[in-house]
Amino acid sequence: MKALRRSHTSTSSGNSSSPLPSSTSLPSSSSTTSSTSPPSSNSSSSSSSSSSSSSSSSSSWIHLRSVLFVANLSSPSSVTSSDRSRRKSPWSRRKRKWALTPHQWRSLFTPEGKLRDGGVGFLKRVRSRGVDPSIRAEVWLFLLGVYDLNSTSEEREAVNTQKRKEYEKLQRRCKMLLKRGNGSTDDLEEEEADDQCVRFMDDYKTPGPMTSQDVVSAANTDSSDTDSCEDNEDVQLLPSFVYSDEKKPEEENNNNNSSGENCSPPVASSPEIQVELTLHEDFSTWQRIIRLDALRADSDWATYSSSSTAITETKARGLAESVGLKDYDDNLESCRLYHAARLVAILEAYALFDPEIGYCQGMSDLLSPILAVISEDHEAFWCFVGFMKKARHNFRLDEAGIQRQLGIVSKIIKSKDSQLYKHLENLQAEDCSFVYRMVLVMFRRELSFEQTLCLWEVMWADQAAIRAGVGKSPWSRIRQQAPPTDDLLLYAIAALVLRRKLIIQKYSSMDEIVEECNSMAGQLDVWKLLDDAHHLVVTLHDKIETLSSQSLSI
Amino acid sequence: MGAYRAEDDYDYLFKVVLTGDSGVGKSNLLSRFTRNDFSNDSRATIGVEFATRSIQCDDKIVKAQIWDTAGQERYRAITSAYYRGAVGALLVYDVTRHVTFENVERWLKELRDHTDANIVIMLVGNKADLRHLRAISTEDAKGFAERENTFFMETSALEALNVENAFTEVLTEIYRVVSKKALEAGDDPTTALPKGQTINVGGRDDISAVKKPGCCSA
Repeated sequence: MKALRRSHTSTSSGNSSSPLPSSTSLPSSSSTTSSTSPPSSNSSSSSSSSSSSSSSSSSSWIHLRSVLFVANLSSPSSVTSSDRSRRKSPWSRRKRKWALTPHQWRSLFTPEGKLRDGGVGFLKRVRSRGVDPSIRAEVWLFLLGVYDLNSTSEEREAVNTQKRKEYEKLQRRCKMLLKRGNGSTDDLEEEEADDQCVRFMDDYKTPGPMTSQDVVSAANTDSSDTDSCEDNEDVQLLPSFVYSDEKKPEEENNNNNSSGENCSPPVASSPEIQVELTLHEDFSTWQRIIRLDALRADSDWATYSSSSTAITETKARGLAESVGLKDYDDNLESCRLYHAARLVAILEAYALFDPEIGYCQGMSDLLSPILAVISEDHEAFWCFVGFMKKARHNFRLDEAGIQRQLGIVSKIIKSKDSQLYKHLENLQAEDCSFVYRMVLVMFRRELSFEQTLCLWEVMWADQAAIRAGVGKSPWSRIRQQAPPTDDLLLYAIAALVLRRKLIIQKYSSMDEIVEECNSMAGQLDVWKLLDDAHHLVVTLHDKIETLSSQSLSI
Repeated sequence: MGAYRAEDDYDYLFKVVLTGDSGVGKSNLLSRFTRNDFSNDSRATIGVEFATRSIQCDDKIVKAQIWDTAGQERYRAITSAYYRGAVGALLVYDVTRHVTFENVERWLKELRDHTDANIVIMLVGNKADLRHLRAISTEDAKGFAERENTFFMETSALEALNVENAFTEVLTEIYRVVSKKALEAGDDPTTALPKGQTINVGGRDDISAVKKPGCCSA
């Protein structure tokens, strides 16, 4: 009933037919009054109290959802593939099994420490069930491509040692820059140029979530005769990269300019674009914003992280000092200060590692959960690098990455529900910029800490499956239902918008949609979200892939 | 989440944006004004968010829709789209960090490039409670505001100092300009500006005054 009342009341105020979406006097957002509601989803209060939203409002969503669900099933676009969409998704409540347990995890390995069947079974399980919190630190190294799915334990040990050295090297550079106190990395680059060059290029050839860019850069580099045993595996995996090349031709093209010539990891935008988009941001700007954001990071991880209670004040302050973190509140808990200092260390190392992206706000939202799960800094860093291989495009200066993502959300909505899409067009909201934050920080602000991790794990498993090229035989049954997709997140976001069709249709300005999206914190259930996304993937995946590749080839 | 349209009773709705560097306290100014709330560790704003609050000007209810934008320069392309339709702006810097004041000029340009020429702008020096750390003097900032034809006020979202005044003054000024315009046109302001219509806030002359901190009674 509440849901209906909500819709009804929206109608009464939503009767303006003004075509001006953000003009001065629209009756929009009138729901927010100073006394009753938090502004948007906001930050501060939502960080640790996401579950505290009033029960009445969340129950209203449940009512509305069931109404919408019926509407969705009977919509014309799902008829054609009704057989497929009626199958239970791996995330439907009834079918979902317990998360991957430590015992199951160990049984997935052969005696020499290799994942059985190239990790297919592993990815399948993670995708449908998630991971038990106690083994996340180990599992994520595989999901995020720090370890190759085909590696033996001996090989992983070697990789780990190598990765530790590389991270320590970056750390030393960060400290040198901090000492000099200027934002210029130029002279530093010169000093270590040759050495770094080799190292960074190596990074991108070692096993991991390689993208199309990596293949290009590897192909263009003569020095591919490294002694690391993982290279062989990369060759085996090449077919899957062809697949991803088809998907992202723009990245491949852009990357031809930059691969193998400088010390940075392969970058995505061309030098021309960079010139146009020169900002006033430099390393010192990043240093400053990183410290700001580290100190105001969310703290909902604290209850999760088992090691957080063991941090002494001396240890926390020592680390903070070593990374140049000052200006913090003296009353800040040690575990939070320690976490903040680790954020600074790793984000700065990343900004050096990937200077084209550097640091952009939102990246700390992505790193913070990794730090809570993984206590070794170098492992956390490389996991973050693995995460960022896809996510980094969202933070590009030219916005091409984020625009592409928003464009896909828009296409999914258009394909599923032309009526709703038309309404969005009328409000000049069809670019879906109202889901910007969800795309950028991947539901970190909308979902609880634990639920975010579940979503990300499923997402990573999908992406790892695509990287490894496991879309063929062993996955055929899953493929019929819903193929692994690089864009699972976007389907989930589109599903969320589609679910709110009745509400959104009552709105008369984009402002109201923005507010709606910003106020979802604490109301979402990750498995429901994935279940919804599943239906969309089943019915629309092929179409969206085709549309995307067409629009890119123009 | 409050979805009580019944409270949707106002005579004017003004869109106001908050801009300025990261970490100067934009989100906290907003939460102080709309909810009388302050958070020591509010996370960085991603993209844009907004909140609303209504105040009384004369016998009219003015509803402010205040947009809080991300501070990092890289987000400007996205946030500038939200400047569209804004009739007021609070350009915030941190009185303890000089670089945030240096960047005010760029933010001002950004605002003027993307908004109506008659927008009411107030330069706001936040974190005025940190007296021992002050890096920008009130005089310097006031001088800048005079040169740039903007209002000026120093605030502390933490101590709730002048926050109410800053917003109220901007809103009152917008209201003044709007009702004056309407009177000049010979219309009753309320009927002349039905909901859903863009309000022109009048000429540059109307907003040239630099007000002293706290001069406006809330």
